[in-house]
Amino acid sequence: MSTSGTKENRSDDTRKAAGEGFAFKALLIGGAGLLLTLLGLLVGDSPRVGLGTLIGLTFWLSIGLGMWFLIMLFHLFDAGWSTVVRRPMEHATTIFPWIGAVFFVLLFFSLFASVDDGIWKWMNEDNTVIVAGETATVEEDVLYHHKSAYLNNAFFFLRTLLYFGIFIGVATILRSASFRQDGDGDGAWTTVCRKWSAAGIILGGLAATFASLDWIMSLEFHWFSTIFGVWFFSGAMRAALAATVIVCLLLVYVGSFRGVFKQSHLYEIGRVSLAFTIFWAYIAFSQYFLIWNANIPEVTYWYVNREYGNWWWVGLALLFCHFFVPFLFLLFYQNKIRPGRMLFISIWILAFHLLDLYFNILPAKHAESGWPYYSFGVSFWDVTAFVGIGGICVWAFVKSYLSQKPIPIRDPRILESLNHHE
Amino acid sequence: MISLEETKSVNESLIREARPASVPRRKLVENDRDFNWITERVCGIVEGGTPTWWWVCLLVSGFVSLFTVIGTIYLIAAGVGVWGLSNPVNWGWAIVNFVFWIGIGHAGTLISAILCLLKQNWRTSINRAAEAMTIFAVVCAGIFPLIHVGRVWFAWWLFPIPNANEIWPQFRSPLLWDVFAVSTYGTVSLLFWYVGMIPDLATLRDRAKTRIRQVLYGFFAMGWRGSHRHWSNYEMAYLLLAGLATPLVLSVHTIVSFDFAVSLIPGWHTTIFPPYFVAGAIFSGFGMVLTIMLPLRSIYGLHDLITQYHIDCMCKITLATGSMVGYAYAIEFFIAWYGANDFESFAFINRAFGPYAWAYWIMITCNVISPQLFWFRKVRENPAAVWIICIFVNIGMWFERFVIVVTSLSRDFLPTSWGYYSPTVVDIMTYVGTFGIFTFLFLLFLRFLPLMAMAEIKAVTPQADPHHHDQGGSH
Repeated sequence: MSTSGTKENRSDDTRKAAGEGFAFKALLIGGAGLLLTLLGLLVGDSPRVGLGTLIGLTFWLSIGLGMWFLIMLFHLFDAGWSTVVRRPMEHATTIFPWIGAVFFVLLFFSLFASVDDGIWKWMNEDNTVIVAGETATVEEDVLYHHKSAYLNNAFFFLRTLLYFGIFIGVATILRSASFRQDGDGDGAWTTVCRKWSAAGIILGGLAATFASLDWIMSLEFHWFSTIFGVWFFSGAMRAALAATVIVCLLLVYVGSFRGVFKQSHLYEIGRVSLAFTIFWAYIAFSQYFLIWNANIPEVTYWYVNREYGNWWWVGLALLFCHFFVPFLFLLFYQNKIRPGRMLFISIWILAFHLLDLYFNILPAKHAESGWPYYSFGVSFWDVTAFVGIGGICVWAFVKSYLSQKPIPIRDPRILESLNHHE
Repeated sequence: MISLEETKSVNESLIREARPASVPRRKLVENDRDFNWITERVCGIVEGGTPTWWWVCLLVSGFVSLFTVIGTIYLIAAGVGVWGLSNPVNWGWAIVNFVFWIGIGHAGTLISAILCLLKQNWRTSINRAAEAMTIFAVVCAGIFPLIHVGRVWFAWWLFPIPNANEIWPQFRSPLLWDVFAVSTYGTVSLLFWYVGMIPDLATLRDRAKTRIRQVLYGFFAMGWRGSHRHWSNYEMAYLLLAGLATPLVLSVHTIVSFDFAVSLIPGWHTTIFPPYFVAGAIFSGFGMVLTIMLPLRSIYGLHDLITQYHIDCMCKITLATGSMVGYAYAIEFFIAWYGANDFESFAFINRAFGPYAWAYWIMITCNVISPQLFWFRKVRENPAAVWIICIFVNIGMWFERFVIVVTSLSRDFLPTSWGYYSPTVVDIMTYVGTFGIFTFLFLLFLRFLPLMAMAEIKAVTPQADPHHHDQGGSH
């Protein structure tokens, strides 16, 4: 008994050392990526680098937010099957403070950028905007003046602070309650989690909605859509589920999830993923269809711009590859239970989620003609931002993962989850 | 590739550490009721003597439903002028009532189909009655657009039947899509209700004491013998119908929302309408399920089958969907301002502070504020309070549709064409009559068909769990 215990301890120590080494490498890569991105903001085509950074930020943040929403939903529904997959999600929410820190760098860059170099053009009254087909400054734009009570630098800054305060605050409470339950096995922590999830889902729903309006929709501040927050939420949920599959399969690969994360869990994630694939398409279609059908120029221009140049192909790729392919793929039982197939479709969904963010963010800068200034393409700085932020996120995740039990061992539903069958 | 089912290198040390904290799940059937008790209690509703209150309610509801019949006959004889419609409000109570009833018709299929796919076992006690409610609500909903077309004898033109005169419907109109969406939804809901009822109809057949009951229940039970093959086919059919019904639940109210959102009318053309309408429909549906089930629970002593846990779950869904509706109201108002479109801003300010402000604030109070009381356990555990809040929800959801339809039309782009809409007695009586129709049909259901899905309830009792005895079960 003692020999096997020593062996287990040794193998745990080896795993931990390997994990720490991996985390350190991720931190180094992340730091290097972020430094390069900062360099790009200073010496490169700064609006392009800034927009690329925003794409990277929203990509990684959406994964964290989606997982955060899933954690809260699991608590509220008193879900049994999901307990083992909840723990990696809890680790993932440790990325919020780091994403927030990088976000504020981008925000300061846009605040202090020279004319037309920032990414939220309403931030500087001398920036150029297209008003009724003519170029003008933000100062001359009556639409901006109408919205300036909401879209102004101080309020935007405060709101961003509030959003991150909510994300970090609620996620920290839920995480620490779950971790502490591992130690004392007290059922009261579950009640704490349920109560905070109920409050968090309301606060988080509002914060994520207004964050998406501020950070993405206000890039083209003339444009508006009431469903935009729901679109962001639906994309975040898809990204989170896809990332969960990848993380859990990696944990099976490294050993800690062997015999813990089973086919039945993969199947359930596949089912939820199918539901959110349909939900995303429903939301994206509703927005497109209602704007197209009413044909009012004050909002149609947003989509017209996204049919310009190679953006047309991006739009079609979203329709076919971000909806039809995952939808048809996930309909089949066999595809939802085979790790290789789920890994494939999860990477696929994440890739097209990234494309969706490109579609929503990059055409925001307009040329004097009114058409998008940037055509679709992946720049070197996009890669540095993506890898940089991703590296930091991976580091934060692994660091938290190494400090806790791989699953919530004292959660009231842990045995239901470990013994879950389809 | 990694195998998830291999048993060799399982992380056993971790699995051994798993010792759950004690937070037991709540029971779906209280007081350890056995299979026989469940059968007797549910079949007793159909097999026992007819209570006096049932006759009284049937006669009253039959009388009230005559209001709709008479109102409709008068409308067809005299024309739509007998309603309060005029320019600019040429959609009035009829459309409001249609959306109201079709919304109520959402909870049944939601409970049966979506909660079935989500493996939510608590649905079993309430799904049958909710499905019946769905079908009767769709019946009530279907009346209004049909009589609203004006010349009802041409209503068949809505169907794409090729004919010599090449009369084709306007396929680009969501009003036509409604015809297909609602009729498909009605058909699938009916099928789903019926398929789910087959094992229980067979139970009634087997217990029938009169020849006519044996023949009728026997006919509709379609030779059900409860064999493994029957159950296997039944469960597959049920799952497929659940899969089919789920997109239909969403599509029906999405298309109803398109009736408004595809237009250019301020207050109607907004992108959040589809999910907002679906959330509102589920909200109103659950409001109505609770309105009906709470009194029945008391009358028939069904407390062990519709437990406090069921009521809690329904209250929480009502709270969640009510909050979603509140979110939609808020975001609409915010974007109406943010969009900097004068007409859009005006539409919303007019809703809140114009001549129909009373309707708007009734809507906000009933739909957004009243369900917030469900945050409190004491409220959820007080059936009278839950019932009253659900009545508020029903009222609020009718007013929501009234606010959307009437405020936007009564004051649109040109102040010269503004008007104030008031319903006529015919409008009011035709609507009131639909409550009679709904109640009449529900009373018939209550008396002749199994109110609860006995077979499904039995399947979620502890006795149905093969490991029940291992855990010290006594049955």
